[in-house]
Amino acid sequence: MEYSTLYNQIAMMKKSFFDQGFLDEQFYQIEDLQDDASPNFVEEVVTLFFRDSSRLITNIDQALGKLPQDFGRLDSLMHQLKGSASSIGAAKLKNECTVFRDFCHKENIEGCLRQFQKVKKEHASLRQKLENYFQLLRQVGPVEKANRSGK
Amino acid sequence: MLDSEGAAAAPEFPVGLRVLLVDDDPTCLKILDRMLRKCLYHVTTCSQAMAALNILRAKKECFDLVLSDVYMPDMDGFKLLEHIGLEMDLPVIMMSADDHKDVVMKGVTHGACDYIIKPVRMESLKNIWQHVVRKKKNESKELDNSGSLDDNDRQRGVVDEGDNASSVCAGSWKSVKRKKVEGKDDDDDDEAVEEHEDPSHAKKSRVVWSVDLHQKFVNAVHHLGVDKAVPKKILELMSVAGLTRENVASHLQVCLLLRFSQLLLNSYFFHAEIIKYRLYLRRVSMPQYQGRLDSFAGCQDASYGSVGLIDSFNVHGLAVSTQIPLQSRTSIHPAPRSNTNVGIGASTVGQLGLIASGAPPNMVFPSVQQMNKQMSNTRGSSSNIQSSQLGQTPSVVQPYGSMSLQFGEEMPNFLTSSQASNFSLPGGTMSEQMNKSLTMQQTHNLQQFSFSQPRSNISILHSSGQLLNNNASNSSRFSSALMQQTSSNESSNHILGRLGITTNITSSPANYMKSSFSSFPQDLYVDAQSSFMNELSGNSYPSSSCIGVSPQTTSFQSLGSNNDLKGKIENVPGFNTINEHQNRSHEWKLQSVNIPYQTDHIVDFEQSNILSHSSLMSHHNTVATVSNRDNNSSVTVKEEIISLSNDIDVEKTTSFAQHKNANIDDDSIRLHYGVGPDMSYQDVLLDDIQNELMTVVGNQVSFMYRPLGASISIDLEHQQSYS
Repeated sequence: MEYSTLYNQIAMMKKSFFDQGFLDEQFYQIEDLQDDASPNFVEEVVTLFFRDSSRLITNIDQALGKLPQDFGRLDSLMHQLKGSASSIGAAKLKNECTVFRDFCHKENIEGCLRQFQKVKKEHASLRQKLENYFQLLRQVGPVEKANRSGK
Repeated sequence: MLDSEGAAAAPEFPVGLRVLLVDDDPTCLKILDRMLRKCLYHVTTCSQAMAALNILRAKKECFDLVLSDVYMPDMDGFKLLEHIGLEMDLPVIMMSADDHKDVVMKGVTHGACDYIIKPVRMESLKNIWQHVVRKKKNESKELDNSGSLDDNDRQRGVVDEGDNASSVCAGSWKSVKRKKVEGKDDDDDDEAVEEHEDPSHAKKSRVVWSVDLHQKFVNAVHHLGVDKAVPKKILELMSVAGLTRENVASHLQVCLLLRFSQLLLNSYFFHAEIIKYRLYLRRVSMPQYQGRLDSFAGCQDASYGSVGLIDSFNVHGLAVSTQIPLQSRTSIHPAPRSNTNVGIGASTVGQLGLIASGAPPNMVFPSVQQMNKQMSNTRGSSSNIQSSQLGQTPSVVQPYGSMSLQFGEEMPNFLTSSQASNFSLPGGTMSEQMNKSLTMQQTHNLQQFSFSQPRSNISILHSSGQLLNNNASNSSRFSSALMQQTSSNESSNHILGRLGITTNITSSPANYMKSSFSSFPQDLYVDAQSSFMNELSGNSYPSSSCIGVSPQTTSFQSLGSNNDLKGKIENVPGFNTINEHQNRSHEWKLQSVNIPYQTDHIVDFEQSNILSHSSLMSHHNTVATVSNRDNNSSVTVKEEIISLSNDIDVEKTTSFAQHKNANIDDDSIRLHYGVGPDMSYQDVLLDDIQNELMTVVGNQVSFMYRPLGASISIDLEHQQSYS
């Protein structure tokens, strides 16, 4: 029962991620890669992502603080972040990054600064959501794997 | 999609495909790695482009495919792509979140087998093995069909070009945004346009085979060994961005073709060498020449090597001869210990010069008559000495003289520039030399020679060609060829063209060299040499012919036409033109100084001896006789030469001394001859030599045929020293 509740919870949570656009199809791809050989693959990847993306965000922060701003570098950094986000299926984060890059291309520093705040916010938000998600998953344990198949 | 539950789905693709994955993003790297392993591939990951390249270089055989990100911090993905494509020839798939069309296009044009937009899905990776198979298939197909162009190669950045003009090609080549091809930068002079004669090639890609590029090609071929020099490996070794296997394959074909023709020519020249040697021996026996023995001997080698050994790279032969006497081509003589040396050296130089200038060659060959006449007129010049050298082919001398004047103006530039590059052909690499010379000559010659006497050029070339063609080793032919040169511009042009590169080289060196020497005072000489040389190296013919005649085709086509040449030469009127040159005798005079020098060397006829006979000038008659195919004329010459020997010694010294002052830079063969011996001497000498040839030929006697290998070895030695 608990398990089914947990499972339901997990399922619903995940569904909401998708419905709200936090995650996309790519996330399923990642899940597909998880198997007996790599039982925690998804979590490992997500953890890795947040670690790396945090570093990137710090760099972007520093770059924004430097005057005059180097839009090329900002764009490049944000491109990396965007690529990373897309690889795990973080759709919303990816979109925010795209907007930021647009501002960069227009060399709109104000726009960049504002947008960057949104990026950071989304980044933090997603991180939290996924942490909750994985926490639930850990609670249900390996059993849950069987239920998570298929998309 | 593979069943995520781990059910062992039957692999839909090759299991164990070895993939090198390059991506600086750790998240992506991890995901892709996992995906690839799920496809049952063997994966090696790398987060830095340089590291990936090193891995590939170390173990290129361990990978089937490379998967690389586009945007990486240490190296642009496209650069990596190029590197891999050229060095390892592995299929590369690019990936990026950037899906802009132009970026994708860039990937494709840089040779990527595929471009995957991130985020990467499993489906995309499932099919990457197809690229490997396809690529391998294309490559094997290419090996069989070296001329064909396939898509993969296109992706590698074939330089497509329509126009074969060197400048255009150079431009288009340079504009290719790949790694710069070394040596191509801003140096139009070095660029050679290679026209692919291979019909199957369809000229889809034009590669400008610059000197440097060709050098790389040659190095690669040498490194691999002739047996294993397949286009693919050559391309790998060359490491030239934008070059395709097909380009290399075509080039290889051309070079091989040239080489073959050169070998043929060599055999012919071998005979000439023999004759020369005999003449030398004869001379040597004479007391006054005793002293010269050394020098001559030394020169002999040089000339020997050079003339006879028209290695696959004709120019080489020339180079050799030149080199021997001189450290660099330019030096007039290696060590003019005696005048002889000078002569020889000069001849080498002259040859070079002749070739280079293009014009000289013609001059050299113009009928003997011309030479005679000129010689007589030019007596006062130091050309005597030279003429004596050139004397071997009197016709050669004269024409040159006159021509040289003309060229003089133009040559200077030419010579200086062209020089050496053409000249020193390393022994082995025909293509290399050819290319270089071709290039240079084409560039230079065309530009600079506007000889008023196209004829002479032609004739020289003509004769050279003939010689080359006629492996029949007919000495008579040889002489006649020389003689006949002058007669018809057209024919010679034609011939020259036909002879193609190889021919030019072979024949011209001897004659050209000579003529170049004598003709003009420094300027001319220099020019002649350089132009001559250039021509030799490249299409020496072309340059000569350019002098007013008809531009030579540098293409290798001419090789095939040797036979035709032969016929043509026969038809050449011969001495008619010689007469025409007479007017120039005065001009000749000046130049003749050089000529003898060169002639001597070129024809490889006892140059030393000839040199010693600086006072030959007086003999003009003999010259005239030489030209026909018969032996008659040659006989005459001989006599005179002998008599003159005494005089020449003295003069030679003088002239040589003067010559020595010529600036022999590394690249330009300049002989600044002061007044030289009478040209007639040259004529005489030339005749003598021709005579000798004829005798030999006529009697079918000796051709103490040295095994080709022997001569070649000499050549090589020289070449090496030279180069």
